[in-house]
Amino acid sequence: MAGVSDTIEQPMPPARRGGLLAGLGRPILNTLQILGEGTFLFFSTLQRIRPTGRTWTRVMIQMVRIGTDTVPLTFLVSLFVGMVLVVQTADQLEQYTQEILGSIVGLAMTKELGPVIMGFLIAGRAGSAIAAELGSMTVYDEINALKTMDIDPIEFLCVPRLIAMTLALPMLVLYADVVGIAGGAIVVAFDPAVKISVHQYLENLTQWVNFKDVVVGLIKGAMFGIAVSNICCTWGLRTRGGAEGVAMSTTAAVVWSFVMIIIFDYFIVRLAILF
Amino acid sequence: MAASETQGVSIDIRALRKAFGGVPVLNGVDLHVDPGEIMVIVGGSGEGKSVLLRHIAGLEIPDHGSIRLNGMDLQEYLRLRPGEKPFRLSMVFQSSALFNSLTVAENVSLRLQEYRMHPVREIQQIVARCLEQVELAGTENKMPSDLSGGMRKRAAIARALAIEPQIILYDEPTADLDPILTEQIGELVKRIQETRRTTQVVVAHNLALALRIGTHIAVLHQGRIVDYQPASALSRSDNPHTQDFIRAANLSV
Repeated sequence: MAGVSDTIEQPMPPARRGGLLAGLGRPILNTLQILGEGTFLFFSTLQRIRPTGRTWTRVMIQMVRIGTDTVPLTFLVSLFVGMVLVVQTADQLEQYTQEILGSIVGLAMTKELGPVIMGFLIAGRAGSAIAAELGSMTVYDEINALKTMDIDPIEFLCVPRLIAMTLALPMLVLYADVVGIAGGAIVVAFDPAVKISVHQYLENLTQWVNFKDVVVGLIKGAMFGIAVSNICCTWGLRTRGGAEGVAMSTTAAVVWSFVMIIIFDYFIVRLAILF
Repeated sequence: MAASETQGVSIDIRALRKAFGGVPVLNGVDLHVDPGEIMVIVGGSGEGKSVLLRHIAGLEIPDHGSIRLNGMDLQEYLRLRPGEKPFRLSMVFQSSALFNSLTVAENVSLRLQEYRMHPVREIQQIVARCLEQVELAGTENKMPSDLSGGMRKRAAIARALAIEPQIILYDEPTADLDPILTEQIGELVKRIQETRRTTQVVVAHNLALALRIGTHIAVLHQGRIVDYQPASALSRSDNPHTQDFIRAANLSV
């Protein structure tokens, strides 16, 4: 029953004393090892995607946990992000023209803030839950129990989480875009410091925000979903050492997810500019 | 279930070696377990008992040596698809390893459901029968968190029984349990042997339990089997490690 996930389940070698070079090299080697494990797990997960009814049932359960349960929080966060954007930008633009408020909010939300904030939100909320759940399953032998039952842990645990997060995140991004823009519109309507009408705000927004901007945002969301689920599954499955190990894995999974979201963001933007 | 349906299989371990990070844990283990017997492996903490059990379960790959189940190499057995395996193996973990997000019934039936081994109604009947056998009838819809330590352990045994295994491995099945629950688990293991003739390997440091349930007892010391006796003859063993263990167990009672 030793199988595919074994490469990510070997105990970490004990920390040894060493000089400055060893001190510098160890974190680099650890980082490379985690990246390698994550890449291996990603391809192993892809290899195990089978369109069976059981898989889709598990995906739906994860979609509810990752997506549906995050909707209220998404609403609150993106509403206030949209509102803050208008307040800040309106103040800066007071001396020039506030007529471009709609395009600023629209482009910021669809291209950048919607996907990135949702990525962070999902990493903090659902990603940490995945790392903690898989971590405690690893520590308390539940992963081994699956193996002794001839159930592949990657197919059983990682496949539904990867699919669910990849599908749920773009939907949440779209929802966040709409709510964020609506939040901006509320400030435009009621804040006396904003001198334009809601109609002007929306007209300017629709002039500047095109279909491609929205699609790039959604692609970002899907990519962030893949990254977050993969990172959190990797850290969950490599957990060692009881409750402390679970806590460490969960923290590391969230931090790594944040960093990867920003790195992915940069490269997706670079690619999007080419097309 | 008729005893003939689940005849146990033999386990043959030869020169098994395993090291972690250069530290040897198993130093050439040789052990034979007859079909249908209860083999209890005893030894102090850190002697490699659980590691040995995890090798039999296929959760560890040995550095050297072989494990054969009814003459079939374990690695060859592990490569077979679930439906092709000539016999089944279950393991009861020290932590019980029940899935906290599933009910007791879902835990017990997980493998049956995954491989659609029986119609749904039949699976429900198997679950009810297994839970009844471990005296947990009526707990089908409870969550593992609602169960006591002893009940969780019995639910884990029910899960192991559900696939009608020919081998059951127990890793410290009575750890953290009081003497009454320990007695109950011991009785349960004995009853499984009587009714199913399943080969059972129990890792324990509770010598009283080992003597009560074991057909044979193997003493593991520094990664080697240093003594192997019928349970009834263990106290007469002249092996110094066995004597040390018996003395320590008597002192701790």
